Amino acid sequence: MSTQLSVRAPSAMRPPRFAWSALGTLKRFGSILAVLVVWEIAGRLHLVRPFLLPHLESVILRFYTDIVTGAFFWNAALTLYRAMVGFALAALIGVPLGILIGVNRLMRWFWDPLVSLGFPMPKIAFLPVFMLWFGVFDLSKIAMVAFSSVFVVIASTQAGTAGVERWVIWSARSMGAGRIAVFFQVMLPAAMPQILTGLQVAMPVALITTVVAEMLMGGAGLGGMMMQAGSYADSVGVFVGIIETSCVGAIAVTAMAQLRRRLLRWHPEFNPR
Amino acid sequence: MGALSRIAPLLIVAAFWEAITRSGLVPTDLLPPFSTVVVALVKLATGGTLWPNTVDSVARAAAGFGIAVVVGTGIGAGMALWRGFETAAGPLVQAFFPLPKSALIPLVIVWFGLGDTAKTFLIFLGCLLPVILSTYNGLRGVDQVLVWSARSLGATRAAVIREVLLPGAMPQILTGLRTAVAFSFLLMVSSELIIATNGLGYLIGSYGDNGAYPAMFAVILVVTGLGYAADRAFVALSSFLLRWRE
Amino acid sequence: MSDTQTGIAIDRLSHRYVPRSGQPVTALDNVSLQVPRNSFHALLGPSGCGKSTLLFLIGGFLPIQEGQIRTASGPVLAPGPERGVVFQNFALFPWKTVKQNVLYGIGKRGIRGAEADQRAQHFIDLVHLSGFENSFPAQLSGGMQQRAALARTLATDPDILLMDEPFGALDAQTRRIMQEELLAIWRDTRKTVVFVTHDVAEAVYLADTISVMSARPGRICQRIDAGFNRRAETGVFKSPEFIGLVEHVWDLVRSEVDEARQRSH
Repeated sequence: MSTQLSVRAPSAMRPPRFAWSALGTLKRFGSILAVLVVWEIAGRLHLVRPFLLPHLESVILRFYTDIVTGAFFWNAALTLYRAMVGFALAALIGVPLGILIGVNRLMRWFWDPLVSLGFPMPKIAFLPVFMLWFGVFDLSKIAMVAFSSVFVVIASTQAGTAGVERWVIWSARSMGAGRIAVFFQVMLPAAMPQILTGLQVAMPVALITTVVAEMLMGGAGLGGMMMQAGSYADSVGVFVGIIETSCVGAIAVTAMAQLRRRLLRWHPEFNPR
Repeated sequence: MGALSRIAPLLIVAAFWEAITRSGLVPTDLLPPFSTVVVALVKLATGGTLWPNTVDSVARAAAGFGIAVVVGTGIGAGMALWRGFETAAGPLVQAFFPLPKSALIPLVIVWFGLGDTAKTFLIFLGCLLPVILSTYNGLRGVDQVLVWSARSLGATRAAVIREVLLPGAMPQILTGLRTAVAFSFLLMVSSELIIATNGLGYLIGSYGDNGAYPAMFAVILVVTGLGYAADRAFVALSSFLLRWRE
Repeated sequence: MSDTQTGIAIDRLSHRYVPRSGQPVTALDNVSLQVPRNSFHALLGPSGCGKSTLLFLIGGFLPIQEGQIRTASGPVLAPGPERGVVFQNFALFPWKTVKQNVLYGIGKRGIRGAEADQRAQHFIDLVHLSGFENSFPAQLSGGMQQRAALARTLATDPDILLMDEPFGALDAQTRRIMQEELLAIWRDTRKTVVFVTHDVAEAVYLADTISVMSARPGRICQRIDAGFNRRAETGVFKSPEFIGLVEHVWDLVRSEVDEARQRSH
């Protein structure tokens, strides 16, 4: 068996981009197709109990039904609504706070230990606290999402703000910019790439926190729908829920990536030389 | 002095917590005073509830993490070193990119029921992707010039892997493992909140349901502390393993 | 300031700083220097001799601990548009196009609208960047970025131009071209220039006067007059006079490096 150590240039793994060559497409999706084929065959040959692995066709049919009846959109919209509001809260609190921490030494002294405690903390452990404080409807979920996402936003914003090179600030000052002008006209734009990165990481966190909260609290939304399907032994529903959640996740991540592309047109990452 | 300076903000928060609850600003049924929580914590720790559940939780997290490390580095390395494997496994790994592992909780319950296996499997799944990605990126990211020099000096393929690629990839692999540690805690708590049989997450949920809020907050503190300690321990381990770097 | 001939007067300037670990370092020790108006003055020395620190103090970016710096506009207290700066890594605003970068400084001078536009275009053309007004820095080569930075600073019409190893990040060929272009612009605009470099030939080619600095602690050990910059001839680099002066200055610098090394042992 060939064990050639490949010497092509390193390519970091990222979500797939679309390349339309036939061989490329085959390579890219080949094994996924293979898995789907095996899945279908296993179903046809009754190799596995349908409870554990429902037929591929049933899953696809249910997915289609969910779209047509609007069930997918309603559940997805509700989950997205909760996730987005929580995310927005995290951004509105985290970005200004991160900036403050980045520029002010006292703030940094105070908040640094708190943020580094919060980072590795399984913030989902606070879910019962939010349920206690805000009940079992949307507000508690939104608060939970905001709490989960805010730490990474703060950390990235802080790093971005503190990491602005002094040359750019000095240039502005030597051209006559006062402190406030330097802040808004130089620091913020310079920190924007890292702030956006923090927001991009926070987005899937927000989504998944919403789904888990919904699983625990029940009701409508993708998480609640999946738990309900599970409790009714409706494994087709559970599988479809997973697909639907992935779709929503992929759309959200892609949307953020597009936003980044638009806002950071000028950045070297989009202007390779 | 440095350590005290770092803890001081936490003490300030604790003092603030105590103040707003004792003064009546915040109703104690919503937020028990810090001192009450500490008392509850001590009671739990000495009482025989905390310890067994902690062991259960940590054991599961460690098991899930450990298996994920073994399997994940294997898959990541396989993908980095053998192009055929990458073509086969790559798309599957990338397909799991946008899928939040917590979304698999109901499915795992269907497969494994409401027990330890389900929770450990979830933790394993959650830790798997960061480990695979960081191993793959780490190995691929090793400067090819180093590989070529070693080969030209007569190193065998195995030696190159052992002496050039692995050390070169180590920082990135360790970063991925650190993320996986955090994920293991996250999934440990999520799975125990939902599959409520035993463990720290179960305790939090059950105390919450039964109105035993001081105990609930106490266990949350324990979990937070454990997560932080695990992260710190990992950072220390990483520094030790990477001490040959600048 | 009585002497209208002096562009910058530096009087017994000292500067110390404390690095993260270790003893306080004397970056500059009792440095005095007079830079005549409209002259091109080079600060030359090995790494760590304090030449950049001196430049940053003139620029007003670092607080003056001991001593004084005066210009025609008064004592130096803070950065200001009368002392324009060009940095080694260009310090362009990456989120602005070339034109927007140049307009930034112009705007801060209070010039807006069509006049600002014309002015920006004039300086973009002056540095031979016509056609790249709407490019972002990330789309430009190092040499082009430095031209843009130069245009941006010149457009604010500073009396004094402070340049911190501006061509250090460029490859040798681009560097040579930029040196020639800088001289051409300087001959036209006649600003007072303080130019930091570690490249001896560059200093001899560009400057009226070179201050050779030594390290640890930073001091000016010698002032050398060059003046090749006022001759419009080509082939300056080949002339025996030029080569001789370069060698002479090189020997000076090298002996300072050796001395500094001995002193620190």
